[in-house]
Amino acid sequence: MKHLKAINSKAHKVNEALKNDDLDEVMAMQSPVGCTATTDPGWEVDMFGSVSGLCQPMEADLYGCSDPCWWPAQVPDMMNTYPDWSKNADSATKDWRNLESVYPEEKE
Amino acid sequence: MLKKTLFGILLILTTPLLFAESLDKDDSAGAKLIRANCLGCHVPTDKGLSRISEQRKTPEGWEMTINRMRLMHGLKINKGDLAIKGSGLHEIVKYLADNQGLAPSETHGVRYLLEQDLNQIETQFDDEFTTMCARCHSGARVALQRRDAKEWNYLIDFHLGQFPSTEYSLFGRDRNWLDIARNKMVPLLAKKYPFTSEDWSAWVVAQKPELEGKWILSGHMPGKGFFSATMKVTQNKKDYYSLSIEGNYATGEAIKGAGSSVVYTGYDWRGNINFGDISLRQTLAASADGQTLTGRFYQKGQELVGMKITAIKDTANTNTRLLSVFPSHIKKGQTTTLTITGLGLNSASANSLSLPASIMVNKVISQSANRIVVNVTAKDNAPIGYVDIQIGGAILTKQLAIYKQVNALEVVPSYGVSRVGDNGGSTPKTNTLFRAVGFDYGKDGIANTADDINLGYIEAVTWAVVPRDEIAKKDKDVQFAGQMNSNTGLFSPAAAGPNPERYRSTNNAGNLNVVAKLNENDEISGIGRLLVTLQRWNNPPLK
Repeated sequence: MKHLKAINSKAHKVNEALKNDDLDEVMAMQSPVGCTATTDPGWEVDMFGSVSGLCQPMEADLYGCSDPCWWPAQVPDMMNTYPDWSKNADSATKDWRNLESVYPEEKE
Repeated sequence: MLKKTLFGILLILTTPLLFAESLDKDDSAGAKLIRANCLGCHVPTDKGLSRISEQRKTPEGWEMTINRMRLMHGLKINKGDLAIKGSGLHEIVKYLADNQGLAPSETHGVRYLLEQDLNQIETQFDDEFTTMCARCHSGARVALQRRDAKEWNYLIDFHLGQFPSTEYSLFGRDRNWLDIARNKMVPLLAKKYPFTSEDWSAWVVAQKPELEGKWILSGHMPGKGFFSATMKVTQNKKDYYSLSIEGNYATGEAIKGAGSSVVYTGYDWRGNINFGDISLRQTLAASADGQTLTGRFYQKGQELVGMKITAIKDTANTNTRLLSVFPSHIKKGQTTTLTITGLGLNSASANSLSLPASIMVNKVISQSANRIVVNVTAKDNAPIGYVDIQIGGAILTKQLAIYKQVNALEVVPSYGVSRVGDNGGSTPKTNTLFRAVGFDYGKDGIANTADDINLGYIEAVTWAVVPRDEIAKKDKDVQFAGQMNSNTGLFSPAAAGPNPERYRSTNNAGNLNVVAKLNENDEISGIGRLLVTLQRWNNPPLK
């Protein structure tokens, strides 16, 4: 880490946490049921228990989450399970409304 | 002891045979559908059908498995779409949950997941299990399955094949994930959540509870308050029931509604019922003696808005039995109306309502078999603490407290999650509900000592949200993340999608604290935590 220089606020936060030796403790925090604890950078909650370290806005990097199957319990993974999920939404930032929920609900 | 052990061994040895015979010969709709639609991939074995007959799950667990077959392998039932009502999905789930489900005891401690009561932290699992098996989904989702070691290993294979990021996302890449999964997790899971168990073997042959009849229940309806009601349960055919409900809120407002339910595995109740115009889902578990149903009712489509429920069965020869009293607290010197709910409350013996001498009965407002409404005053010199209510031979212990003052409020849940939604997208907003529990610090006036008195829900509070930290303040999370109902504690999040009014057009997420202030003294407050966050596009019944 000593050869890397933090250039944005998120990186500064990581540095501060490391200096204060409280990152492990924060990482060990558990999330409420339904939220992923894989906090790199996190889907619902970041490694500091906040939302400011998440992708902003999420849609700007959504396919960076779905393509590599990063949070398959929350975001449809396009690597294996739902390869066509984004077919009606070329730009997630503009077309996010066309992205469907994937778990089937019973229809009449 | 020897007899018990031999009985256990016999049950374990015979259990696979029970499955094999029932799946081969059972003439239920579900078994027939499995034979007609699943044999293309699942081959007959001495246990039944490969894979299928080697796992046990809850109804929701089986539903997710079958939907996975549909999503990943193109399964159709009788060439039809599984998602359409009447497709046969329900019948298959029913058969599998009934014949390869979990015993009541095997769901203890993790029913919150079935009850959709998600606003809580799972602390019962050890760190390694949590890191290996519960960082994407809940630990309860694992704990509600039963497999032998071979099947747990297959589940690991599936995870790595289907979701390879398991190994290289955070807390996967810093260890030899596969080695730990194979050599530590599989033995742990096979031991802790085994396919064969004495409890399941005993439950398979046990007499199942009779649930038809009249049930008395009470609870605390979000936004409405305490209620007491009678639910009539009529059996249409085995395990399928029609429901009707009548009752009253503490305000006097009437409750009337109807619904239906299905009971899986002989005890696991899933239902729908309307309380007037409020549509609720029910997840309940029947006790082995069929006298109690416990679980949760929650709003259809808003699972985090719900209430814990206990119901007791009213039978012809029921002795007087007490279920609840609300409100659960009376201030010294205060006059209030108590509603006492139970069974046999108008019998001869029940006329002797007995309250402690420190509580004066001003008037019995109404008395029926299931409810006594009584106006009472706690004397000025009443000692503070829990008191018992006695009617006939029945005693309700420590559910009513006399208090001097509310010293503290505790916000429950202590950590709630709400998710942005709607705004033209496919995912609805996820509201979340907070309640306040009051405490009197007792005679010593000191917090967290043995004489603290839990006063139950305090409704006369005012709710607000505030920034949890400086970043949330700077980002104006309170302004953007949603609305807290100041009277009810119901938080409704803001719209999904990028918000051009925010820095970097970020989403309407927020890192907030929830504050409940006592109306009669706003210096008394409680603080909870609220994470307003992103939607999920994957919403199976077990998260």
